[in-house]
Amino acid sequence: MDPSRLPLFDLAEQRLAWTDRRQEVLAQNIANLNTPHWQAKDLVPFAQALASATAPTLARTDPGHLAGTQDTAAQSLLTPQPGVHQPDGNAVSLDEQLTKVADTATAQEIATTLYKKYLSMFSLALGYGQ
Amino acid sequence: MDLDKAMTISARGMDVETTRLRVIAENLANQDSTGSTPGADAYRRKTISFENRMDQTLGVATVQVKRIGTDPSEQQLRYDPSNPAANKDGYVKQPNVNSFVEVMDMKEAERGYNANLSVMQATRDMLTRAIALLK
Repeated sequence: MDPSRLPLFDLAEQRLAWTDRRQEVLAQNIANLNTPHWQAKDLVPFAQALASATAPTLARTDPGHLAGTQDTAAQSLLTPQPGVHQPDGNAVSLDEQLTKVADTATAQEIATTLYKKYLSMFSLALGYGQ
Repeated sequence: MDLDKAMTISARGMDVETTRLRVIAENLANQDSTGSTPGADAYRRKTISFENRMDQTLGVATVQVKRIGTDPSEQQLRYDPSNPAANKDGYVKQPNVNSFVEVMDMKEAERGYNANLSVMQATRDMLTRAIALLK
């Protein structure tokens, strides 16, 4: 039995990958707080990202065909966020970005906690909890 | 790994804010530095600008200092004939540093530094939780 193929572990794994990536994007927004003409970016919501991650891949009907190079966490998921521009063209709202950082951290905590709980159920079933 | 990248991005963000603070310190320290020869220019206020550039070794775009330039605005004259930098009419060029502007910039740099630090702490907590999955 491959534990990574269990739906909950699989979902937690994707959720963690999403929070990791989002944290990177938000860190970039905040690091560019004073960069002229910087537009704040964000990932598409997880539910939407999950739906597109299970999108059909390119079919290879001929041995000469190259495999598709679709990256599930691709740059295309980034969407520029509308915001109020400062005189230098920068549109990063610090409080909004920091709220998103806190949200991401909470989402990651929930995912890791669920993962651990689920794992402890396996340990119990295997008799490690005695 | 994305969390490592996030840490690096935040670290670079703190780095540029530190450089900005250094420039502000230079400006404030030199707010009375006049020239040393008659009619010479006084200290010119330094400016700093940032840009987001791709770091090839890391594979992520990080914020970097684009340019440290000088403020070309006009320097005011003050009558002080005994000063070595006084011109033939007895006027000395004064630095174009405005301490109010510098202090405001300092606050902004501090705010940026703190924000990057908060993100770094949040990222570190996330990393710790991810590592704790092994326990």
